[in-house]
Amino acid sequence: MSAKYAVLGLVIERPGYGYQLAQRLEERFGCSEFAPSGVYSALDQLSRDSFIRSAGEMGAGPSRRAAPRTIYEATEEGVDHFEAWMLEASPTPPLRDELHMKIALCRPVDLPRLIDMVHGQELACMGRLHDLKQRADEDPADPHEWSSLMRTLARDAEVAVWNARIEWLQSARELLEQLCEEPEGASSTRRGAAAAGRSRMGHLQVL
Amino acid sequence: MADVLLSLDAVSKSYWRGPSELRVLTDASLDVAAGELVAVWGKRGAGKTTLLRIAAGLEAPDRGSVRFDGADLARLSESAHARLMREQVGWVRRSGPSSDLAMLDYVALPLLIDHGQRGAHGRASEALRRVGMSDCAGQRWSSLSDGERALVAIAHGMARTPRLLLVDDPTANLGLREREEVLQLLLSLVEEANLAVLMAVPDMPAAMRSHQLRALSGGRLLTPAAPPAPRGGNILDFPRSERSA
Repeated sequence: MSAKYAVLGLVIERPGYGYQLAQRLEERFGCSEFAPSGVYSALDQLSRDSFIRSAGEMGAGPSRRAAPRTIYEATEEGVDHFEAWMLEASPTPPLRDELHMKIALCRPVDLPRLIDMVHGQELACMGRLHDLKQRADEDPADPHEWSSLMRTLARDAEVAVWNARIEWLQSARELLEQLCEEPEGASSTRRGAAAAGRSRMGHLQVL
Repeated sequence: MADVLLSLDAVSKSYWRGPSELRVLTDASLDVAAGELVAVWGKRGAGKTTLLRIAAGLEAPDRGSVRFDGADLARLSESAHARLMREQVGWVRRSGPSSDLAMLDYVALPLLIDHGQRGAHGRASEALRRVGMSDCAGQRWSSLSDGERALVAIAHGMARTPRLLLVDDPTANLGLREREEVLQLLLSLVEEANLAVLMAVPDMPAAMRSHQLRALSGGRLLTPAAPPAPRGGNILDFPRSERSA
């Protein structure tokens, strides 16, 4: 999905100008990885559809070099459109994961490279958790406050995805390394891959 | 950072099943300071409970050392270790009492040796009040919800006012609100009592409120680190100059 509804929802919550909205989008939906230009495209489209309008301009500061910033607010039509979207059923996203496909199609000779890939994904997922932890530190949950509870619920969804993926990656790596270590019919390549796997774990620890 | 209370240094532990070695911990190092909540996440069977048992000195590591307040647990006499466990280390476990005790008696149980029945009940009553569970003093474990059980388990672990609290999966089966209430309680205890908490959790959301998050994988204790810059650039790297209206 595009950033359109996320940006519209943020404007309805509080009017703002482009960069502010990009910041808020990053804070709230950082893991969605909206393209940087997506916020401005969304603002253009929402303006064309009359879902948002200019609520004035903000000065460019003392230097006066930069252009003034347009502050956007939602129109009544925009609020109606957003509310209709909120009530619509959300489609289940397709799970088209390249790593799954590579594993499904790999051959025994690919094992060392596959362990590398799984390990790399594990590191990347740990990084995502690191980001989410920082967001949780900056915005601790208040179980008695509506908006905090909803933000935490949405953040939990992201955490759960990475949690599940790391667990799967760990299980995958354990199996792949076991396959490398199997003495019967094991090639020298496989044994080499197992040793490489062990040294990689050493690398993980120092992160 | 406050003084380190618990320190695991390059701890390794294996179990043997016949001729095959199951390596549970490999060179695991971890510091927990007073006033700090450290969460260790790992999937089921990753070795979290073994880590807690080693931290408490209930199991000896094959290699490496465990220090409590500077003292090497391996060098303590049995009686000194038992005293340390009784006076300074609290456990929060998911399993309740094996017998059909009222919750006041259950929380009072570890206090009986040092404080007698009357003193133990007074302290247990205070511990239940602190976790907001005074109303459950006369109830049985079987009649409590999962959230209430978690709070009573914390009262049980905190009854002896320990310096270190070892917590095994405190938020199992809890919904988001109950989970956050339990974590908020643990964090407030950490702050009020300058308590050190080592908490093992199988679900990452429960670890998000910790001061320090570690992940147990393949016997190694990992620290989640910032990822490399994303390929498409960070959204906030976009040029700051705004478009003209």
